[in-house]
Amino acid sequence: MNIHQVGRSVIVLAAGGVIYAVFTVVPPVEGLGNLVRIAFFHIPVAWVSVLAFLVSAVAAALYLKTRKMTYDAVSACSAKLGLGFCLLATVSGAVFAKLTWGAYWNWDPRQTTIFILLLIYGAYLALRSTIEEEEKRAVIAAVYALLSFITVPFLVFVIPRMYPSLHPEPVLNGAGHLEMEPVMLVVLAAAVIVCSLIYGELLSQGIAKVNSRQKELKL
Amino acid sequence: MAVPGLRFDQALQAILIKDLRCEFRSRYATGTLVMFALTTLASVSMATAGTGLTPEFAAALLWVVLFFCAMAGLARVFVQEQEIGTLLGLRLYASGQAVFCGKSLFNLLLLLGLAVLVVPLFVVFFNLEIGNWLLFSLTLVLGCIGMAVVATIMAVMVMAAQSKQAIFTVITFPILLPQFLSGVQAVSQVLAGNEPDGLVFMAGYDIAVIAAGLLLFDYLWND
Amino acid sequence: MKVVLENISKAFGAKLLFEHINAELDTGRCLVVTGNNGSGKSTLLKIVAGLMKPSSGSIRFYSGNQANQQVLQGTVGMVSPEMAMYPALTGLENVLFWTKLRGLAITEAKASELCCYVGLSGNERCRVEHYSTGMKQRLKLAVLLALNPPVWLLDEPSANLDEHGKELIARLIDRALTAQAAVLLATNEAREVGYGSARIAL
Repeated sequence: MNIHQVGRSVIVLAAGGVIYAVFTVVPPVEGLGNLVRIAFFHIPVAWVSVLAFLVSAVAAALYLKTRKMTYDAVSACSAKLGLGFCLLATVSGAVFAKLTWGAYWNWDPRQTTIFILLLIYGAYLALRSTIEEEEKRAVIAAVYALLSFITVPFLVFVIPRMYPSLHPEPVLNGAGHLEMEPVMLVVLAAAVIVCSLIYGELLSQGIAKVNSRQKELKL
Repeated sequence: MAVPGLRFDQALQAILIKDLRCEFRSRYATGTLVMFALTTLASVSMATAGTGLTPEFAAALLWVVLFFCAMAGLARVFVQEQEIGTLLGLRLYASGQAVFCGKSLFNLLLLLGLAVLVVPLFVVFFNLEIGNWLLFSLTLVLGCIGMAVVATIMAVMVMAAQSKQAIFTVITFPILLPQFLSGVQAVSQVLAGNEPDGLVFMAGYDIAVIAAGLLLFDYLWND
Repeated sequence: MKVVLENISKAFGAKLLFEHINAELDTGRCLVVTGNNGSGKSTLLKIVAGLMKPSSGSIRFYSGNQANQQVLQGTVGMVSPEMAMYPALTGLENVLFWTKLRGLAITEAKASELCCYVGLSGNERCRVEHYSTGMKQRLKLAVLLALNPPVWLLDEPSANLDEHGKELIARLIDRALTAQAAVLLATNEAREVGYGSARIAL
């Protein structure tokens, strides 16, 4: 049993523990009832999709600086994972919205932001798929990742002014809909950590795959 | 046999004048753009004939028309160089920054020309009252600067891609969204007779994309 | 201006085009590149021009004692079948555009004199879209003359040219060498191979 397998088992166990805690330790919340449990899935995946976006942009900058193809692989893999997590966050958010506000979609600022994140990831991956030459693809994709990274702060600023929000305030805000009890905060923190670890594990697997494929090509 | 010091302003001027001259003679972009604008405008106007438009809706339509015109025409600045085979020479003899600025300016002039054509038609077709022309024009100019600059960067990206036109729209839209949304909001405020409050924001976006273009364009140009 | 090619290799994906090219391109000298179609002559020229990156190896530019890794913009001029002129502009406008792009101010009289020199007299005010292929090739030579760069990269310069045109190429190369330019010439014409003082066979 090597270190990777150990790591993987730890992540699986931790994920199991968190899921167990979400269904047993976390009490139903007044007004939301058992629906609050969705948040323990929704918040971590949303957090990871933003993290993936950040990693993708940083890797893009590093690629432009060093021209090492590994960074391009990191940027691409992270974007792919980000798209996946972003989809999960969007769907779980929409389900939550349907059950609590009565509609799947109402262009709430957060829905809008995450939808645009989806668009950016989608555009980034579509752009990659249309360029055949490897180095060109890496450079162009890196510039695109950085450009989209520059526009995101503008979105964060402009969108809340355009659309009124029903979305709960960010977690660490006592006045929001979700009054966080300490036990819930602990479970949530654990869920975020586990979710980030899953992302990290998938990312390193993805990169290893790309690297071994490149080695094969060279041989 | 002098090695010339590359003069940025000279190169920029050369590119801009060359593009304007070629465009004036061939009218490739303008012809398509004008017809495209008229078609979109007419289709929207016919579809909504008789219904009074709210300022928000009219503002959104105006920007949608301008955005899709930009998507239809602005990628040409590089795709055409590629098609006629002058791209290699341009890459050999011109610096990335000069090309970026020259082409962005050309795209901006195209867009502004288009706006000058579209806006009066818009006013006529949709029976709009524009109270403050100065603020209205300022909003349009700020929006067009962002569109022209982003379209120029994206146009050089799609040169290496297949199905250039489709991917051009796909990758430009998310980047332009902040400007698009605040443009819609600002115009709807002007149409409603209020002062638009997002102009500083729009100018900030323009400055950010121009700076990003100046920094990043060389990577795209030299490879 | 001296250009040194160090251990240049180029591969497209898994297909190796050439490897371990070492050569020196000195002022007043002509270096000839020969090889079959598809052997990578144009690619090598593009690498020297900085339009393409080699898979490995490097190009160094020496001006005086200073070594430079990057092509100084403005040192290299190129004539290549892949490099077209603007069809909507006249010959004269093309010459003026490319020189202005490089920050060189030449007068219209000088530009039209160069057009005459390459055999375009009477046509310099016609749009390039009405030119024949040979005339377009001559216009490219006029642009190169106007730019007058210290390093000349000629990729099959006599392509599409008639007998007079081939003599023109001979005169041009001669003119470049007397002016102490360094010339890199990719060709398979026996006559042009003779201009070279050294040769790379791909």
